[in-house]
Amino acid sequence: MRFSKVWTIIKHEYITNVRRPGFIIMTAIVPALALIGLLVGAYGGGIFKGMAQSLADFFEGTSKRIGVVDGTGFFTPLLPEYENNFVLFGGEEEARKALEGEKLDAVLVIPSDYIETGKVKVITRGSGFEAVAFEDSEWFKGFLVSHLLRGKVEPAVSRRAADPVKVEPEVLGEKGKVQGGGPWGILFTFIIPYFLAFMLIMTIFVSSGYLLQGIAEEKENRVMEIIVSSVSPLELLVGKVVGLGAVGLTQVLVWILSALGFTGGAVLLLTISAFSLPPSTLVLLVIYYVLGFAIYAFLMAGIGSLGTTMRESQQLAGIFSMFAAAPYMLSGFLMANPNLTIARVLSFFPLTAPTMMLFRLPLAKVPWVDVAGSLVVLSLSLLGAIWLGEKLFRVGILIYGKRPSWKEIWLILRSS
Amino acid sequence: MVIEVRNLLKRYGELVAIKGLSFEVKKGEIFGLLGPNGAGKTTTIRILMDILKPDEGEVKVLGRNPSEVKEKVGYLPEERGLYQGLGVLETLVYFAELKGVPSSIAKERAISFLEKVDLLDRAKGKVKELSKGMQQKLQFIASIIHDPEVVFLDEPFQGLDPVNVELIKGLITELRDQGKTVVLSSHQMNLVEALCDRILLINKGEAVLYGPIREIKKRFTPNTILVKSPQLPPTIKGVQSVAKKDDAFMLTLAEGVSPQSVIKALVEEGVELEAFEVAPVPLEDIFVKVVKEGKA
Repeated sequence: MRFSKVWTIIKHEYITNVRRPGFIIMTAIVPALALIGLLVGAYGGGIFKGMAQSLADFFEGTSKRIGVVDGTGFFTPLLPEYENNFVLFGGEEEARKALEGEKLDAVLVIPSDYIETGKVKVITRGSGFEAVAFEDSEWFKGFLVSHLLRGKVEPAVSRRAADPVKVEPEVLGEKGKVQGGGPWGILFTFIIPYFLAFMLIMTIFVSSGYLLQGIAEEKENRVMEIIVSSVSPLELLVGKVVGLGAVGLTQVLVWILSALGFTGGAVLLLTISAFSLPPSTLVLLVIYYVLGFAIYAFLMAGIGSLGTTMRESQQLAGIFSMFAAAPYMLSGFLMANPNLTIARVLSFFPLTAPTMMLFRLPLAKVPWVDVAGSLVVLSLSLLGAIWLGEKLFRVGILIYGKRPSWKEIWLILRSS
Repeated sequence: MVIEVRNLLKRYGELVAIKGLSFEVKKGEIFGLLGPNGAGKTTTIRILMDILKPDEGEVKVLGRNPSEVKEKVGYLPEERGLYQGLGVLETLVYFAELKGVPSSIAKERAISFLEKVDLLDRAKGKVKELSKGMQQKLQFIASIIHDPEVVFLDEPFQGLDPVNVELIKGLITELRDQGKTVVLSSHQMNLVEALCDRILLINKGEAVLYGPIREIKKRFTPNTILVKSPQLPPTIKGVQSVAKKDDAFMLTLAEGVSPQSVIKALVEEGVELEAFEVAPVPLEDIFVKVVKEGKA
């Protein structure tokens, strides 16, 4: 393989594609939307804040006025901190009338057997949805607990019973070293695998789109034959994969950086998170990313070149995108246990190994057998992907008109 | 020899596209590779360009494997096109760079060629802004911009007007004058006849005619002459039969009799001659005859 030729193709593919109006529009659309979002947020902040508050109130009930019919005596008199929202009524009928007269938002009837059964009646207007929402309301639970414990425990204990826990997470790394505390720790654990796997999948989707578009166009406008008279199909294939991979990476990086930039500070978090990983993990992540992208790109280009139009090429190559995204479906389980058996098995399958390992590596200490094994599998698979991709590409680029059947492809491959 | 092909065989699945083809192309000649559609011309050229691999046989270009001499070979394929969104100059520079020409030299050569084919004012424009004929000329330049030693031209006159046909003809003969070897495939037999030194006619993957064009034409020329005259004598020495054809007479000569000796006999007998023609057989007729009959 002559690298000067490959470099010429890489330059050509990169420059011509980043100049395309389609690329510029698609690349600019995410920052533009983020900017619009930011502006709308700045101007309409007050309105949105009000809306958000109303929504929270709907579920939490903090601004509601509620009538209480106390059959137990625990709630009479009301604690001063609840007097703004709760009003005591002597009987249910009186409270119902106030509700019908829209002086109240709800009526809470606490029967005399409440302590034994835990049952209360909530009467509302309109839908029953609001009544159901009471059950999950922390604020409402606090109201009940505070009154039940009044005078039995110290006020501080009573307040704690009403709002028992505020979790501050802390993540331990190797040798018990604290890697992150508080909410940063959680973000740290989640953000790296999500970000890297997302990057890989997005780059595969975006670059393969350009790759297939490029191949289909060159086949349709018949430039392909002139090019393969100057360079070998392998040189062309490698040039295209690297050049268009760089195009896809550029687009995804612009999207991510702009989106993160607009969220403010997230870029900094990402950088800090990335650098707080052990260097060996960082190196491995990059290796998995490169291997993963290369395997997918060579296979997709090879298969895609068999199509005679862009649509046909996309259909043929589309199956690979599903494999790339598969580990995302397991992300919930992986977060809890990154060394699940299924995760380990999928780390040895060439099409799922890259995304799977990108997920697992930052989450926990992955057994070295998995790392070494998956790297061997991926390296061999890459050679296989280049070999197969080049064979298919060599045949595919000269197919015009009708797409060959799988049997025809097999026969041509065998004879080549 | 610039090109040597021995017992070439190429299969596409069950179909045998080339069946044991052998031929040679000499340095500095314009060689016609002819044949009806589907005869195997493009497959042969693609093998010589290392785009396809042969199943059997030996192929050498400039004494080496075709994959080793790509930079010394130019190719104008029949199935051709250009990047429509790319600039004219940019297109030529890219194709030249792929052949190993540094971009600064490629640029200079591109400008010189564009001037030659009257496209210099379009150098900065986009390919899609060119007419079909202009794009044809651009493709022709792309195939020779790297100063190749051998050029394969598959239907170079397709879609060109007579003025541009003459222009391309001029460029092809210029290549020969510079000592380059040209392999020309075309269905326009009059142009092949005008340009080529030797031809190979293939049909169904097999060679059916091969050799210098003059000899082939001689082989197929019938032993007849056309004479325009008010009246001919009843018998003419060396003439087997006389037939009236339009306003002339078609004289079929006896075996071994030359047209010159018949003219001499007519002049000696005092026959008034208005016109005299040794009826040549156009290459096209030979092509049709050979392809229809299946062999030479």
